[in-house]
Formats: sequence, C-alpha cells, structure tokens
Amino acid sequence: MRRAALLAATLVAASMAGGTARAEPDNYTEAARGRYLTVLGDCMACHIGPDGQSLAGGHLLETPFGKISVPNITPDNDTGIGRWTADDFHNAMHNGKRPDGTHLYPAFPYTSFTRMSRADNDAVLAYLRSRPAVENRVDRDTLPFPFNIRLLMAGWNWLNFTPGEFRPDPQRSAEFNRGAYLVEGPGHCGLCHTPRNLIGGDRDSEHLQGGALQGWFAPNITADARLGIGDWSQEEIVAYLRTGHTDRTAASGPMAEVVAYSTSQMTEEDLKAIAIYLRERGAAAPPAPPAVSAEDPRMRAGEAVYADTCAACHVGNGSGVAGMFPRLANNQLVRQDDPTGILRVVLQGSRSVATPEAPTAPAMPSLGWRLNDQQAADVATYIRNSWGNAAPPVTPDQVRKMREVVADRPG
Amino acid sequence: MPALTRRHLLSATALVAFSSSALGRSLTGSLPWQPNEAYPPQLVRPGGWYFLTADEAAMVDAIVTRFIPADDLSPSGKDAGCTVFIDRQLAGPYGTYEWLYMKGPFSANPLPTQGIQSPLVPQQQYRQGLAALAAHCRDQFGGKRFEQLTGDEQDGVLRAMEKNELQLGQLKRPLLDAKMFFDLLLQNTMEGFFADPVYGGNRDMVGWKMVGFPGTRYDFRDVLANPGQVYNKPPVSIIGRPAWNGRPA
Repeated sequence: MRRAALLAATLVAASMAGGTARAEPDNYTEAARGRYLTVLGDCMACHIGPDGQSLAGGHLLETPFGKISVPNITPDNDTGIGRWTADDFHNAMHNGKRPDGTHLYPAFPYTSFTRMSRADNDAVLAYLRSRPAVENRVDRDTLPFPFNIRLLMAGWNWLNFTPGEFRPDPQRSAEFNRGAYLVEGPGHCGLCHTPRNLIGGDRDSEHLQGGALQGWFAPNITADARLGIGDWSQEEIVAYLRTGHTDRTAASGPMAEVVAYSTSQMTEEDLKAIAIYLRERGAAAPPAPPAVSAEDPRMRAGEAVYADTCAACHVGNGSGVAGMFPRLANNQLVRQDDPTGILRVVLQGSRSVATPEAPTAPAMPSLGWRLNDQQAADVATYIRNSWGNAAPPVTPDQVRKMREVVADRPG
Repeated sequence: MPALTRRHLLSATALVAFSSSALGRSLTGSLPWQPNEAYPPQLVRPGGWYFLTADEAAMVDAIVTRFIPADDLSPSGKDAGCTVFIDRQLAGPYGTYEWLYMKGPFSANPLPTQGIQSPLVPQQQYRQGLAALAAHCRDQFGGKRFEQLTGDEQDGVLRAMEKNELQLGQLKRPLLDAKMFFDLLLQNTMEGFFADPVYGGNRDMVGWKMVGFPGTRYDFRDVLANPGQVYNKPPVSIIGRPAWNGRPA
C-alpha cells in the first residue's frame, strides 16, 4: 500500500514536472489562443486518445471508403508530432500534406482548415506542444486497396480542393465574417453538413444542405425555413450550440460530440457570429413535397403507433416537453428528405448531450424490438407528415436497411 | 454454495467498513444509457404443444373452459389461449421452478405464510395431476375422459377437487392433492386470461377488454385533463394492437 502511494506520488510529480518544462512561459498567450482554436476545430472529436483526455488518437473513423485511423497529435517524438516544425504543421493544415510530402486523407478536414491563417496554425501547434507527450503508436494504414494509395489524393485534391486562407467580405458585418470563418474554417461544419460526391468531395452546389455520414444524417443548416435553420432565431441557435438543447430539439449522435467538445466551450460572441452567418448566408433546399394525407393507411397506422409509443413523452400534438423531449411539430430534423436521422433514433434510441448548462442529457429508449419494419416506417411517415411537417413517406425497406446500420454500430 | 465461514464474514464486514466511500457515491454526468438496449419479452412460440401431450392439452382445454365459459362477457378460456399460455409456461423456466429454492423440508400442513411446499415442480404437478385426474374420471364415469363428460359432470369433478374431496391416485401432501392442483389450475388459467398476449393467452386482449384494463399505456395526462368522460382507448399489448398494422381493433 505504502509503496503504491509513493509510486503514485512520484508519477504525479514527474508528470507535473514534465508539464511545466513544456509550457514555455513566453508563449503562454499563444498557447492559450491555440487551445481555444482546438476547441473551435473540435480536434478532440476525432483525435481523442485511448485515455479519453489527450489527443493521442487511435480510434477508427468510419468513411465510405473504409476505416481511417486517427493519428496521435501529442508532441511525442516517435508516435506523435513532436518532431514537426511550424512549417510542417502549417503544410498539413493548409495543404493536407505530411512533412514527407505524402498526402493526408480529407477525413482530416484540411479542405476547411486551409481557410485558417498561418498565425492561427502556429498558435494551435504552440498549444499542442504545451501538452504532455503521450506515447501511442497508431497504425495509419487501415484503408483497403486502392484507397491506401495516398498519391490518389493528388488527383482528388485537383478535383475537390482549393487551398487558400479565408478572405473576409468587406460588404458584410464583422460578425458575419467571423461566423463565416468559424463555420467554413476551423469549425469545418461542411464536413458533415454538406453532401458528398461519389469520391467523397463536397458537392459545392449544395453547400451545407445536409449530408449522410456514419449512419446518421447531418441536416440542412442553410437559412431554409423548412429544412434548415431559417425558422430558428439567433438566440435559439446560440442556445442549441451552447447547451445542446432548445425547446425544439436536442443534439444527439455526432452533433452531441460537437456540442460537448466544441460549441459548448465557445464564447458567446463566436456562437452569435455563427448564428448570424448561418441565418444571413442564404437559404437552399429542395422544394417541399406535398404532405402525405392523414387518411393514408400508413398515416392511420403510424398515428396508432405514435399514440401508444411516442405520445407519452413527445405529446399527442407533437409539442414535446421543453428542455426534455424534443418537439416534433414543425421540426426540421424529422422532415429532412433522407429519413436516416428519425429512423436511427426510433430503432436505436438516442441520448442527447450533457453540457454544463443542461446536464440532464435526456435519453430515448430503443424501440427497434417493439416495432416491425412496416410499423417503424409508418410511425416515421406519420411524424414527418403531421403538425405542419411534410416529407416523403418512409418505406419498410428503408427501415430494414437502417436496422443493419444500427446493428453494426454500438453508438 | 459453500457455507459462510467466520473468516468470510469478517473479511466481508471489513470490506464494507473500509470502502465506505462506495456507499455514498455522487453521480455526475448522464444517466446510464446504451444504444439498442432493450429487454424484449420472449414472444410466445407458435404452433403445437411444447410440454403438454395432446391428451393433456385436451383435458386442460376442458378445464379452462369450465373456469371461463364462453358467454356475453368473453370467449372461453380455451379460445382465449389459456391452454397455450399454460403449455408455454410449463415448457419455460416456470415449468421447473428454475428460480425457486427446491430443497426440503416440505410441510404437509404449512402455515399460509409458508407458500409453495410441494417438492414437485409444475411440470411434474401437471403431468402427475392430470394423469391421476384422467384415471379418476375413467374409473368413475365408465371409461370416459374428462373432456367427454357433460358440463355439469365436469363442474362436479372440479368442485370436488376444490373441496379436496377427490383423491388424486396415490398423490398426497406435500407432493400434490386435489385442492393444491385445483388452485394451481385456477391460478394459471387466470394468469393466461390476463397476462399480456405476447405470452400466448389473453388472445386479442379479450381479458383486458372484459375488465377495461388499458394495457401497457403509461401516460394518462390527456385523460386526467377530462374528468367525468368515458375512457374509451383500446388496450395495448407489449407489442402493440391491431391498429398498428392498419387493422380495426
């Protein structure tokens, strides 16, 4: 017992000593700025290490092309980026290239980070260097052939990537420009919220109009009122990003991580800037389909399932309970053209995010066992076409495919 | 399980005493939740008999139909699926008292508070009890089987069992006697008539419709807001109701 205590004390002392030695006092300001930039960039969501605290990487990112292992970006000399120079780091962020000139894969969002300034990149590196080195060797060659050929990315970049720093629009307000920088640069919102083309590049003509990924659907976040955030006030967007919760909805799935690691830690000014940019940059969405008639047999069956299964929390009129259970009436999330999100939550259940200001993280139980494919499809069709919602009906086949998706995914 | 020794007891006490921080623990963060987490009931297996023989099932059909005859309140116990329910229960963990302590002593004259006393598990009680009952009917009614008796004759046999005025072959307490078997049959029939339809009985929720039980609903705020109004929502099983499949209730 005493030996263990001594050992622990020594370890603590040693690690503290290590920490102090690293954080050079003269670049504290730069490192602190870099820390906030890593929050803006949500580095943690992907680079989180096996210890759950460091950026030591190691977990496998799911892409349509295979699983990509996330590298260690702690300053460990052998397994991290300890030997990288500031030029190396900038080259990775700005051009998507490693120090040896080989290509990074765009799962690392250099397509967005290229908008960041050299000064910001230097600050990020200063912060990363101030953190303890964590030894964690990551096998970086997990993609299957032919995607394991990094040189292919040269062609990909030619088609999909335009390097270049963010340039503010002098016609717009400072807040709008700040928001644009955050959304299009470090925040890399488009990585999820913009649909991908066949080779995984942004479909630029549909920027921020919603995209499918990892068995979820990141909704439209243009200013469109039906599918995007056009119906959301600036305050609602800010509250959503800060707490993960509004009367309308709750962040879950990958967005729950974004809120937990990134937006909940952003400053009020930056959240406002994001809201202003999203609300002012324009609306884009396909035209609304006609709502499925309430007399349709699918709607009748869906209404019965809803009344017995959903209404206790989400209430018969779809109003939900503010702060606890999302409102389904006039909810953009449930009426995206792609029903992935609603089916995933119905089949698998979901837990929203816990943030300091909304620590409860209400969860929804999995209902996949209780509903067959037709019933799950019908209740989704009903929700998507009631109380002011209108969206294409859901088919049992879509439910069956989603069951395969959620069976593979523990979370 | 090995007997508790003094050493075990002392070390267990010490463990509790020295790990008192584990007793008062504050939880922060989210409540436990797992994706896809569900503990669905095992749905009744379709078709045939899983424990009862065809002869036994015919006898149970007749008994549950005397307990719950078809009338203007409900269909019969047989048509409500009580025999299916009993068969599936006997074939499952209930049939062997999987969760019960089944060592002696067994009292032939237990106090009411002492609960189940038979060393026979339900599978044995049904098998031996039904065989003895069949033999009784054969001897008393000129070779007839229970299900071949008239309704009045069947009632007479059941009444005699209830009053323990009928001898079930060589069976006696604490193993089984007529009264014990009657109680078991009646208990299981009621369970079959009122348990969720997923277990094979209460077909189409007939038992619930009869007594006005709402089923697995758990939110009545909209009803409570309208006092004095007739409650007319159809019952819901664990796996739904006909309207979920677009069929009338």
